[in-house]
Amino acid sequence: MPPVTPALALIIFIAGGVAGALGALLGLGGGIFLVPFLNLGFNFPITTAAAISLTTVIATSSSVSAGRTGKQLINMRFGMLLEVATAAGSLFGGATAQFLAQSTLQRMFGVVAIVVALIMVSRLKRRNVILDPSIDPGVLGGRFYDEESGGVVTYQIKRLPVAIGASFLAGNVSSMLGIGGGIIKVPVLNAWCGMPMRAAAATSAFMIGVTATAGAIIYYGRGQIVPVLAAAAVLGVQLGSWGGMRFGQKASVMWLKVLMAGVLAVVSVLMFVRAAH
Amino acid sequence: MSRLERSIGAVLRGGVIVSSGCLGLGLVLSLIHVAPAAAGILLQVGLLTLIATPAARVVISIVEYTATREWPFVLLTTIVFLELLASAGAALIFNRRL
Repeated sequence: MPPVTPALALIIFIAGGVAGALGALLGLGGGIFLVPFLNLGFNFPITTAAAISLTTVIATSSSVSAGRTGKQLINMRFGMLLEVATAAGSLFGGATAQFLAQSTLQRMFGVVAIVVALIMVSRLKRRNVILDPSIDPGVLGGRFYDEESGGVVTYQIKRLPVAIGASFLAGNVSSMLGIGGGIIKVPVLNAWCGMPMRAAAATSAFMIGVTATAGAIIYYGRGQIVPVLAAAAVLGVQLGSWGGMRFGQKASVMWLKVLMAGVLAVVSVLMFVRAAH
Repeated sequence: MSRLERSIGAVLRGGVIVSSGCLGLGLVLSLIHVAPAAAGILLQVGLLTLIATPAARVVISIVEYTATREWPFVLLTTIVFLELLASAGAALIFNRRL
């Protein structure tokens, strides 16, 4: 691990800013970019990189969700139900990461990075699922005003076991690799469980704070969160995601998705190469 | 907006402001080597506030769902809180054994 210097803190602050802005534009957390930057670029152990990244995931979740409460986009009941699964997955993943070799975690990150790239490319033009507003949303469903379609959208939750399974997996991957896990949950909730895209994304962003906390507590207790660097990363990501959301709302992100999918493919290869050494 | 949403919004906003403030001040102080002890404390307080914010949000949910007598959700949010406690327990055990 490199020594903690002001220059390193500044670099991590900027990297956090870029990761946060990309995350906001692409609807991902910044972790998928921040972890390989710290691990491959600066030789931080992957557990330290994941620990620092998890603190940024918590910060993003809290600040994004604080601004969204009251808009009905976050489905709190369904979110809290799924949190039982994500937190269990995260607890299990954070504990497992302590016993796995660095090379094993790097290979896992390589697999997840390529899966994320594929999901991103396959969903370039995905739009919201819109249902008849007169439907009863049920206990777990929801209803919100959708700006894109200019009306009230109602949805019911389908295939609950699938949602729970995906949440457990997302929580597991989240704390083992230091990412939010939204990229796993959101497509599943949208494609199979009946949630409109925006509600799925908002609910996932709400959940990842608790999910990441279950993992972060373990890393914190083990002394794997370097305070100065975590502070730099958190502030960078906060600033970057604010900027990304503020200025990037109207930007066309299709080319950016393709570009970043390419970057993730490279990250994946590098993770496997590094793991083999 | 429901009372639950209002309280959760307030907890999250408060947590973000306090943790970012402490982390920002602590970061600057520690990088310019002024008052290193205070800087260290600020960074720890910032990190702990950050980590405690989602946990506090879970506790608020337990209280609010109890007030509105939505028992299934009282149960679910209590389980989530116990899971967070379990990770603190796991951290303690690992520190002894590894």
